[in-house]
Amino acid sequence: MASFDAVIIGGGHNGLVCAAYLARAGRKVLVLERREQVGGAAVTEEVFPGFRFSVFSYVVSLLRPEIIRDLDLPRHGLHILPLESTITPLENGDYLGQWNDHDQNRRELARHSLRDAEAYDEFGLMLHQMARAIKPLLGMAPPDPSSFSLKNLSGMAALARHFRSLGPGRFPMLHKLLTMSSADFLDEWFETEALKATKSASGIIGTMLGPRSPGTAYVLLHHYMGELDGVFRAWGFAKGGNGSVSAAIAAAARAAGAEIRCNAEVSKVLIIRGRARGVVLENGDEIRAKLVVSGADPRRTFMQLVGEKHLPDEFVESIRRFRFRGSSAKVNLALGELPNFTCLPGRGAHLRGAISISPSVGYLERAYDDAKYGEISQRPYMDIVIPSMLDPTMAPPGKHVMSIFVQYAPYHVNGGWTDERREALGDAVVDTLAQYAPNLKRAVLHRQVVTPADIERIVGLTEGNIFQGELSLQQMFFLRPVPAWAKYRTPLAGLYQCGAGTHPGGGVMGASGRNAARAILGAP
Amino acid sequence: MTRTVVIGGGADALVAAQLLAGAGREVMVIEGENASREEGWVPPEVLRALRLEGLTLEWPDPWISVPLPAGGRLELWRDMARSIESIRRVSPQDAARWPAFCKRMARLARFLEALYAAPPPDPLSAGFALRARRLGRQGLEDLLRVLPTPVAELLDDWFENDALKGALGAAGVLHLLQGPRSGGTAFRLLHHHVGCPPGVFRPPRSNLPELLRRLPRVELQHAEVRRVAVRGGAVAGVVLQDGRELDAAMVVSSADAHRSLLELVEPGWLDPDLIRALRHVRRRGVAARLRIQLDRSPGFVTLALAPSLDYLERAYDDAKHGRVSRQPYVEARCDAQHRVEVHVQYAPYGVDCSKLGDTVLAMLSEHWGDAAPHEGELLSPQDLEQSEGWPQGQPHHAELSLDQALWMRPLPELARYRTPIHGLWLCGAGMHPGAGITGAAGFNCAQEILRR
Repeated sequence: MASFDAVIIGGGHNGLVCAAYLARAGRKVLVLERREQVGGAAVTEEVFPGFRFSVFSYVVSLLRPEIIRDLDLPRHGLHILPLESTITPLENGDYLGQWNDHDQNRRELARHSLRDAEAYDEFGLMLHQMARAIKPLLGMAPPDPSSFSLKNLSGMAALARHFRSLGPGRFPMLHKLLTMSSADFLDEWFETEALKATKSASGIIGTMLGPRSPGTAYVLLHHYMGELDGVFRAWGFAKGGNGSVSAAIAAAARAAGAEIRCNAEVSKVLIIRGRARGVVLENGDEIRAKLVVSGADPRRTFMQLVGEKHLPDEFVESIRRFRFRGSSAKVNLALGELPNFTCLPGRGAHLRGAISISPSVGYLERAYDDAKYGEISQRPYMDIVIPSMLDPTMAPPGKHVMSIFVQYAPYHVNGGWTDERREALGDAVVDTLAQYAPNLKRAVLHRQVVTPADIERIVGLTEGNIFQGELSLQQMFFLRPVPAWAKYRTPLAGLYQCGAGTHPGGGVMGASGRNAARAILGAP
Repeated sequence: MTRTVVIGGGADALVAAQLLAGAGREVMVIEGENASREEGWVPPEVLRALRLEGLTLEWPDPWISVPLPAGGRLELWRDMARSIESIRRVSPQDAARWPAFCKRMARLARFLEALYAAPPPDPLSAGFALRARRLGRQGLEDLLRVLPTPVAELLDDWFENDALKGALGAAGVLHLLQGPRSGGTAFRLLHHHVGCPPGVFRPPRSNLPELLRRLPRVELQHAEVRRVAVRGGAVAGVVLQDGRELDAAMVVSSADAHRSLLELVEPGWLDPDLIRALRHVRRRGVAARLRIQLDRSPGFVTLALAPSLDYLERAYDDAKHGRVSRQPYVEARCDAQHRVEVHVQYAPYGVDCSKLGDTVLAMLSEHWGDAAPHEGELLSPQDLEQSEGWPQGQPHHAELSLDQALWMRPLPELARYRTPIHGLWLCGAGMHPGAGITGAAGFNCAQEILRR
C-alpha cells in the first residue's frame, strides 16, 4: 500500500497548483482526478471532430502572476494571447467598443459621450488603486475575526493597518465597492447605458443577483483584478484553450515530483480515530496519506466525502447554508463561417476580442427577472469569444469555434433541467445573437449546450456554480466557506481544502490552491 | 453675535437645539410649515441627556397581521407566546424556530443600538473591533453574515411559511428601492428591530416631538429658510424667505445634506468632488401614503398585504423598471378613530400613481368587512416631498443601505455631522443613524459640536 505525504482530491487547477507547491517543497504528493483528464472546469475538449473547445471556463486573466512565475508555467507550455477589445452591439444597430489601446478607446467612448470619455481614465485609476489595495489580501489566509488568539488578533490589526495606509478616501471607496450594486456604482461615473451595462455585467457573473443588487460591485473589482504580464484589466485566451492552462500546471507539478492519476474517483475520505488518513476510491482501493487536501467544493467535500457524522453540528449547519445556486451556462458553437455583425460588418479586429450582449442595465435586469422566478432568460446576457480567431488550431481551416458564456440559466429551473430545456436555452442564445449577427443561424454547424446541471454532472461543481459557491459578500474572505474555517483547515484533523470554495475563490485564479499549500507548509 | 440657528422643527432639530441651549448657547429654531410627525424608537441616552420624562413608545399589538390564503390571519404580537401560537397554526416548524430566530436577531440589533446612540465609529479602530468581539463568536459570525445578505435568503434559511416570510421580508425593504432578494436588505430588518422587544420588527410611535416642544429654553420661529449666508468659508447667518436676515455663528440644519449644502448654500464654497458625491447620494422615494377615514372599525389594528417574498420581489420588479407596482406592498394601521394610514410601496418618485389609490382601496376592502371609507387621500412621493419636506419623497433623506450607513452616512466626508463650511452642521434623518431612529442624529450632532 503506497503512502503519501498528501493526497489531493480533484485535479482542477487549484488542486494542481496546490500539488505543485507541495511537491516543490519536497512532499510526496498524489493527485486523484475522477475524469479521464485533469483540469476540472479548465479543460479543452474536441467536442465535434476538428473543433476544440474550452468547454467550461474560457478566458484567463485572474491566474495569479506569482503562480505563473513560481511554477514557471510558460516553460511548461502556457501561452496567453491577449483579447484586445470588448464590443457591445446595441439594439439600435450601433455598437460600443472598448479597446485596450487607450487612444482608440477614448475616441470610441467620446463618440457616445464626451463626459464618459473624460471620466474613463479617472475610473480606471480608481479601480486600479482599489485592486492594488485588495491584492495583498488574495495571497493571505484570512485571519479569524472571532478568535482571540495572538496570531488572529495581530492578523486583524495588520489588516486595519493595511487599510489605513491606503490613504484618505480609499477605505470608504473600498466600502462602497463591497456594499454597492454595480449599477449604482457605475451610475456615479458614467452615463452611456451600454458602457454601464457591459461593465456591470462582470459584477453579476456567477451570481444569482442582478446588477442593481448591492454586493455586485465587488465582483466587478474581482474581475478587474486580472493581471496579465503585470497589466491590470487585461483578459487573455490560452493557446490551445483553457485545458492548456491545466496541462501546464500539471506538467509543473509532475516536474516537481507529484504523481497525478486520472480515472480515479474518490468516494470517501478515510477517517481513522477522528483523523483523515487517506481516501477510499470508487473501486474500493484505499490510499493512505498523512494529509488529505480536497479541491472539491465545500458541500461535496463535507457532506459527501467526509460525512456529517464526523463533523460538528454547527459546522454542518453552516455548510448547508453556504449558497451555490449556479446561474450560468455555456453554449459552444462550431461555425462554418464567421458571424457577420450588423453593427460592424465583415471580418475585423472586433472578432479577435470579446463580444458582450449587454445593451443596457435594464436588459440585464430583465434577464435576471426571468431567472429569479425559475425560468431561463429569454434574452440572456452573453459574453462571447471566438478562440479560433486567435488560435487557428482550435478549428478546421476556414471554420471557427465560438464560446458563449450565458446568464441567467438557473440551476433550480422550474421543472428541472431536461433535454428540451437545454435545447430551449440553446435556441434562446442563438435567436438572441442572430438579432445582432443575422448569418449566425446559417453558420452554426454544431451546438453544445452546457447547463448548470451539466456542469454539476460532468465537473462535479455543486449546483453548477462556477465559483464553487457564490462570491457574495457574506461568503467572502474570512467567511469563505465558513467563519473560523477560512484558513484552508477543516474541523477534521488532517483534512484541508484548496478549492475555489475557499478564499479568494472564483475564476481560473489558482490563489486558493497556492494559499492552501502555504497553509499546509506552515508559511507565514 | 454668537447665536445658533437650527433649521427644521423635527425631533432631530429640537433635540440638537435643546442640547445646545442646555450648554449655554443662544439657540433659535426656524421651523418650516412642513414639520412632519415622526415615528421611531428613541435611544435612552437622548432622554437622559434632556432629562425628559413621560415618553411613550407605542407599538400596535399585534404589530403586524397578515391575511392567510386559507382564511384567518397570521398575527405577530409583542408577546412571544401569542406569536408562537399564531405561527404554529401555519407551520409548527416555523413556530419552533421563532424564539431562536428572535433571540439571534435581538442580539444583533442590540449591537446596532449601541452604535446608534453615538457618532459613527471608526471601523478600523481597535475599539470598534473589541466592541464587535463582545458579541461572542456566534454573534460576530451572525453579524458579518447577516448584514450583507438579502433578507429573503436569511428568512429562507429559517422559515418555510410564505406569509411569515412576506411579513418579515417587508421590513427589509421599507422605503428602499430594493427587493427582498437584493443584498443588504437583512441589515434593514435589523435596523427596524433596534429598540424593539424581541420578535417585533417595526419601529414604535413616540410622542417625542410633542415633549420637545413643551421644553423651554429655545426660541421657535415659523419661517422658511431661503439660504445660509456664508462669508469667508464660515457661516454668517441665515436669510429667510421673506428677506429677513438673521446673524448666526453656527447653523445646524436638519434638512438633507443635498439641500443643506447645494441649495441653501450659494455655489462656490464647496469642493467639486464633494458636490459630485452629494449629487450621488441616493434618496429615491418609493412609497406613497394613503389616508382613509372609515365609518367603523375595520377589524384590524395592523394589516400587511405581502403574501410572500416573491410577491414583494415582483412589486419591486415594476419599480425597478420605472413603474408603479401593479400589486404593491400594502401596510395599514388603524387608530381608535378608525383612521387608517396606509404605506404603499412601490411608487417610485416622479411616476404617475394617481390610479394607485383605487388599487389599494380595492385590495384593502376585502379585509375590512362592512366598514366603508368616507374619504381617502393618496399622497405620492411628490406630494410627500411638498407636504413633509422629504427630498424626492424619501423620509430617510438618504436611503439607508449598507453603503450609506454608519461611517458612510450620507457620505464619509460628512459622517461626523460637520461640513466643510465652518459653523455649518448637519443633524437630519440623512445622518447617522437617522432613518427612523428619532432624535438620535440630533443628539449625536450636538455631542460632536459640544465636544470641540
